[in-house]
Amino acid sequence: MSAGSSEEEGWSAESSLIRPYSLTGGRTRPSRSDFSMTSQVVAAPSVDAQEVDPELELILSVCARPVSVAELASRSGFPLGVLRVLLADLLDRGQVMVHTSGWERQRPDAQTLRMVLERIREL
Amino acid sequence: MDPAGQSPVPDTLKIVVAGGFGAGKTTLVSALSEVESLHTEEVMTSESVGVDDLGGVEGKSTTTVALDFGRVTLDASTVVYLFGTPGQRRFAFMWEELAQGALGAVVLADTRRLADSFDVIDFFESRGVPFVVAVNCFDGQRTHRAEDVRVALDVAEGVPVLLCDARERESVKEVVVELVSLVLRLELSGA
Ligand SMILES: Nc1nc2c(ncn2[C@@H]2O[C@H](COP(=O)(O)OP(=O)(O)OP(=O)(O)O)[C@@H](O)[C@H]2O)c(=O)[nH]1
Ligand SMILES: [Mg+2]
Repeated sequence: MSAGSSEEEGWSAESSLIRPYSLTGGRTRPSRSDFSMTSQVVAAPSVDAQEVDPELELILSVCARPVSVAELASRSGFPLGVLRVLLADLLDRGQVMVHTSGWERQRPDAQTLRMVLERIREL
Repeated sequence: MDPAGQSPVPDTLKIVVAGGFGAGKTTLVSALSEVESLHTEEVMTSESVGVDDLGGVEGKSTTTVALDFGRVTLDASTVVYLFGTPGQRRFAFMWEELAQGALGAVVLADTRRLADSFDVIDFFESRGVPFVVAVNCFDGQRTHRAEDVRVALDVAEGVPVLLCDARERESVKEVVVELVSLVLRLELSGA
C-alpha cells in the first residue's frame, strides 16, 4: 500500500495525520533513536499473532522484507517523525528488527569505494 | 538480523543532493533512481528547529517539508540512497539529519541563481561533509565555465566543480562518480 492508494481511498492528508499523532500519544520523539533515514527495517517473524493497531499493521506489512526507514515512510504515508515513534514502539515490542549500516558511522574503506565507483560507472 | 537468510539486509550509502528552489534536485535524483523518485515528508515543528531558525515560517507552529529520494542498488549487499533537500537556510534542520552519516553531498547550483547555494556550501564545509558542486546549465548550452562558477562560489581548490544536466542519466552518473572519487581521495590521503 502506498501513499497514493490511501489518497484513492479518499483519506485526506489531515485525517491520516491526526490518527498517528493520537497513536503516538502526542510524542514527537521516539523513545530511542535507532532509526536513521537509511536504516533497514524488517518485521520480525511473528510467533503469536498479536493484536496490533491498523497503523502498526500497515507498517509491518510494508516491511515484510527489509526496507529503509525513508521508503517505509514513503510507502506507509506517515511523516518521518511519526513513523519513528511508531517504529520505536514496534522495536520495543520485538516486532521489528533494525539494521543501520556501519557506513553511517565510518566512511567505507578504499576497496569498497573503488567497488562503488565501478558499479556506478556500469549503471 | 534475518536468520532465515531469505532477505539479505544491504549496507547503505547516503548521498545528499542540496540546492535552491527549482535547481533540479528532483530531476537529478530521478535520473539515477531505479524506482520512480520516492517522496516523504517531515513535519517541522518549532520544537524540531530552534524557534530562532524558523525564518520564513514564523508564526506557524508546524510546516511540512517535502523530501524526495531515490534508490540505486549496486549489488545484493550495497544500496545507495540519494536525498534531495532544499537549500534555503530554514531547512538546515534537515541538512543536519541528512549530513549525519552521509558519504558526501552534491550541491546543485543553478546558474541563474548562484547565491542560492551559499548557505548549503557553508554548511557542508563546516560539518566536514565532502561535496562536489554540480552546475545545472538551464540555458541549454554549456556556456558557463566551471572555473568561473568556482570563483563566484568561492569554494576551496580541492572541491570539484563540474557542469551537468540533471535530466541526463549519464551526466548525473558523472557527478556521483566525481563525488565518490573525491571521497576515495580523502580516504587514501587519510583525511
Ligand atoms: N534546461 C534544464 N532544465 C532542467 C534541468 N534540470 C531540471 N530542469 C527543469 O527545471 C525544473 C525544476 O526541476 P526540479 O527537479 O523540479 O527542481 P527541484 O530542485 O526539485 O525544485 P524544488 O523541489 O521545487 O525546489 C523542471 O521543469 C525540470 O524539468 C537541466 O539540467 N536543464
Ligand atoms: Mg524538488
